[in-house]
Amino acid sequence: MSDISVIKNGPLDKFDVATIRAGFPLLAGAGDSLHYLDNAATTQKPNAVIDAIDDCYRHHYAPVHRGLYPLAEEASNLYEAARETVARFIGAPTDQLVFSRSTTESVNMVAQGWVRPRLRQGDQIWLTRMEHHANYLPWQALCRDSGAQLCIIDLKDDGSLDIENCSSLYGSRTKLIALSQLSNVLGVITPVKKICAQAAEQGIAVMVDAAQSVGHIPVDVAELDCDFLAFSAHKMFGPTGIGALYGKVERLAEMEPLLLGGGMVDNVDECFSSWMPYPAKFEAGSPNLADALGFAAAVNWLDDYDITEMHQHVTDLTQYALDSLSRIADVKIYGPRDTWQRGGIISFNLAKVHPHDIGQIAGERGVAIRAGHHCCQPLMQLLGVSATARASFAPYNCHDDVDALVDAILAAQALMG
Amino acid sequence: MSDNSIYKDVLMDHYRNPRNRGDLTHVDVVRRGSNPRCGDDIEVGINFKDGRLGKVMFRGRGCSVCLASASMMTEAVNGKSKLDAHRLAEAMKAWFTADGVKPTESLQALEAVRSHSARKRCVLLAWEALDDALRAE
Repeated sequence: MSDISVIKNGPLDKFDVATIRAGFPLLAGAGDSLHYLDNAATTQKPNAVIDAIDDCYRHHYAPVHRGLYPLAEEASNLYEAARETVARFIGAPTDQLVFSRSTTESVNMVAQGWVRPRLRQGDQIWLTRMEHHANYLPWQALCRDSGAQLCIIDLKDDGSLDIENCSSLYGSRTKLIALSQLSNVLGVITPVKKICAQAAEQGIAVMVDAAQSVGHIPVDVAELDCDFLAFSAHKMFGPTGIGALYGKVERLAEMEPLLLGGGMVDNVDECFSSWMPYPAKFEAGSPNLADALGFAAAVNWLDDYDITEMHQHVTDLTQYALDSLSRIADVKIYGPRDTWQRGGIISFNLAKVHPHDIGQIAGERGVAIRAGHHCCQPLMQLLGVSATARASFAPYNCHDDVDALVDAILAAQALMG
Repeated sequence: MSDNSIYKDVLMDHYRNPRNRGDLTHVDVVRRGSNPRCGDDIEVGINFKDGRLGKVMFRGRGCSVCLASASMMTEAVNGKSKLDAHRLAEAMKAWFTADGVKPTESLQALEAVRSHSARKRCVLLAWEALDDALRAE
């Protein structure tokens, strides 16, 4: 409890964890019985998001871009306003923001729609060792099918990218560099802007998996100058089932749609059809109105706060957790020990205790953490483990949550040791 | 631990003092069960004696539930006919996948794990390896 008053009276005097937490009904309802530290998997939802979805179904629900009556026109306008809100949040022009189901779908859209038609035998696609399977498997499959080469940027001991040892990264055979902006396992923030600048000099496209970064650290696509950027609503306090893809103008114009169907066609003849301009050509099927409005509500909720201030709070918690975990005997922490260029994600293991048991025992004590390979098996292989435990933080977490985690780890040690 | 903890005394005893865990070099048949999702990796070996299961051993790595379940399995099937051991493995799968009833009193300690769907494979891994080994013979 004491940490909340510290935060109130400290340098973050505008930032009040108790107030933020009170706006999340699941957390407020659970009280001290839940310490939710699985935010890299999915975040909890504020009232603002839940109410927006509820309000949509109660008062505004109708087909999008399909009706001529007032209710349908209102639904279409709300959907496009949601696009504008989400686009503005990442510094993108409205029409360059495509709604998808998820980061996973966004990456697959780029893999199938833009890279596949351009990939030739002998080309290279570069990834990093710490990519989530969502930003790994689509590229692995493309390379397997086309005879292109899948190349990996390995990691230094501190988890940062070992770019110096990738001599052909910016070479003439590289078609695409696909990388995560914030690792879901190590918490490492990668130098996306620098990589984009160097790639652009050689005409190489860069795809950014921003699932862990948007909504947690400032992200601006114009500043990054990336070709594509994918993210999900549910990891930034919005609903599940909706994500987004940003693309540069020329990339979106060149890209073929992954899904064909209603709402994305200009003209359909018996043998040939033409597509609507982007973003509509990538949104076949009835648009997900309620979740788009929930997505925009999450962005508006975030905009009520200073994202830098929120990140600073998460960074302070992460540093406190790193310090606390480091003091426990037999805890091994993966990734950097300091919070410079790091998000609020810590993976760790406990000697002689399987991560599943850490996760289960923590769960029995109300501490929600993840245990597993985190959809990053190539990284697990590099770390030499099959799984890790992972704690990840959000602005509604406080020092009590970290203390509960430490107690749970000590309990696991006592039971299993 | 609270009453609804999966870490019952019997389970923890099997984890800390596993029965029949060790060398598989002199068994008649060995089969492996692995779960790459969490890194559980178990080998089960059987010595047959007059058409029945003699010594059943296991080795490998895994979480406490996986290792305790393997240890309990080796005791539960010891001396059984192949058919009875197979039926017990089937009953275990049914117990953990549907509304099956507890196959035998000696497995009571696993009851608390049934409500945790994420741990089902941890429990069943050794039983599936056993069933594979029975089919291989």
